[in-house]
Amino acid sequence: MAIVEVQNLEKRYPSFELKDVSFNLEEGRIAGFIGRNGAGKTTTIKSMLNLIHPDCGTVSYFGKSLEGNEAEIKRRIGYSTGTVSWYPRKRIREIVDTVKRFYDCWDESLYRKYLDYFSIDEGKTPLELSEGMKVKVNLMLALSHRAEVLILDEPTSGLDPFSRNVILDVFTELRNEGVCVFFSTHIISDIEKCADDIIYISGGRIRGASAKAEFAQRFSQGSESLEDTFLRLERRDNHA
Amino acid sequence: MRNILRKEMRLSASALTYLFVLFSFMFLLPGYPVLCGAFFVSLGLFQSFQSAREANDILFSALLPIAKKDVVKGKYLFVCMIEGFAVLLMALCVVFRMTVFSKADFYRTNALMNANLFALGIACVIFGLFNWVFLGGFFKTAYKFARPFVLFVISAFLVIFVAEAMHHVPGLEVVNAFGTEGLSVQILLLISGMIIFFFMTVLSYKKACRSFEQINL
Repeated sequence: MAIVEVQNLEKRYPSFELKDVSFNLEEGRIAGFIGRNGAGKTTTIKSMLNLIHPDCGTVSYFGKSLEGNEAEIKRRIGYSTGTVSWYPRKRIREIVDTVKRFYDCWDESLYRKYLDYFSIDEGKTPLELSEGMKVKVNLMLALSHRAEVLILDEPTSGLDPFSRNVILDVFTELRNEGVCVFFSTHIISDIEKCADDIIYISGGRIRGASAKAEFAQRFSQGSESLEDTFLRLERRDNHA
Repeated sequence: MRNILRKEMRLSASALTYLFVLFSFMFLLPGYPVLCGAFFVSLGLFQSFQSAREANDILFSALLPIAKKDVVKGKYLFVCMIEGFAVLLMALCVVFRMTVFSKADFYRTNALMNANLFALGIACVIFGLFNWVFLGGFFKTAYKFARPFVLFVISAFLVIFVAEAMHHVPGLEVVNAFGTEGLSVQILLLISGMIIFFFMTVLSYKKACRSFEQINL
């Protein structure tokens, strides 16, 4: 059942255009949003969070339009972005203590679990953390209020292979609990490892959105790996 | 609403904002343009906007489970809270000067304006200007604050200059009343200042909500 519906999103910038972006996300599935740098991944995600104002198109969660239901929807979803650092000189404890009051469903035991799981010292400030640890802090904030949908913009960027594996295992665990995980990446092996669905964006347009096996069947040639498929598709788009 | 105000106070605000509220006590200084106190309180508020921008505060707030316009409401609430507190301290100074020191020579021989209820009303106008010119200007982009702040500085000092000069104009001596002289006029001037503050703030807030809704973060 689709719990997130993105329909006909369009956004025009002087040097870039997001055109007719539509896809659905289902509960209990992991969707990998793949595309090269500048393909439109972040613009799409920002539109899904009402951070940018699309020229047209709609985004709805749980059957409700984001417009007019923003606060309620945001309480039920979690968002994390790569290595952006919030309040670099405030202690993580202080940031969390302020943020958790916005969520009725904040789960303190879950927060403690992820604090321990990601080995985060809440007495530190974001300024004292490595880029990888910042990603983990952002993820921890998104995970601790029992979000039903997780929207993650490049959550594995800047992480070492071991930490990436830990994060991908968390995604799988959440998927098994019925959470919908939507994450953007340009690391194809992350998609291969845990995604159920693939949404492929190139040049501001969705080129394919389907289950991983179906995607491979439609786009891959012979015994081509997913990585080779994407590279070939990108080369073709560049020459087109 | 309590949560967003709490977030403003604990995460977004600069310590200097709280410290600069003490400039309200400039209303006690003899021989000094007392309205500069209101300007310095505004300067303290500006520090919070600077530190908030460095901390990606606007984007962080927009991701919280609140409507986008509540981000604007949080900023206005915080600013009005600081301004309200400053006006309260200034009012204490004014009462002090109207009663205990109403006949003190060092206040009476002041060539500059007296810190009375009229001055308090003008302080409200300066805060209203901050909300209208600076806050309203800031929320056009949610990151550019130099131009709105410069415009606020110019307009605030124009108001200070006019207010300081007014009692030297024949017929307008009443604005420089000491103690409880011309109390009804003084109260009327204070209420006028507060009404101007109210309208400037409300109009600016409504415009800021509309602008912020259209901004791409």
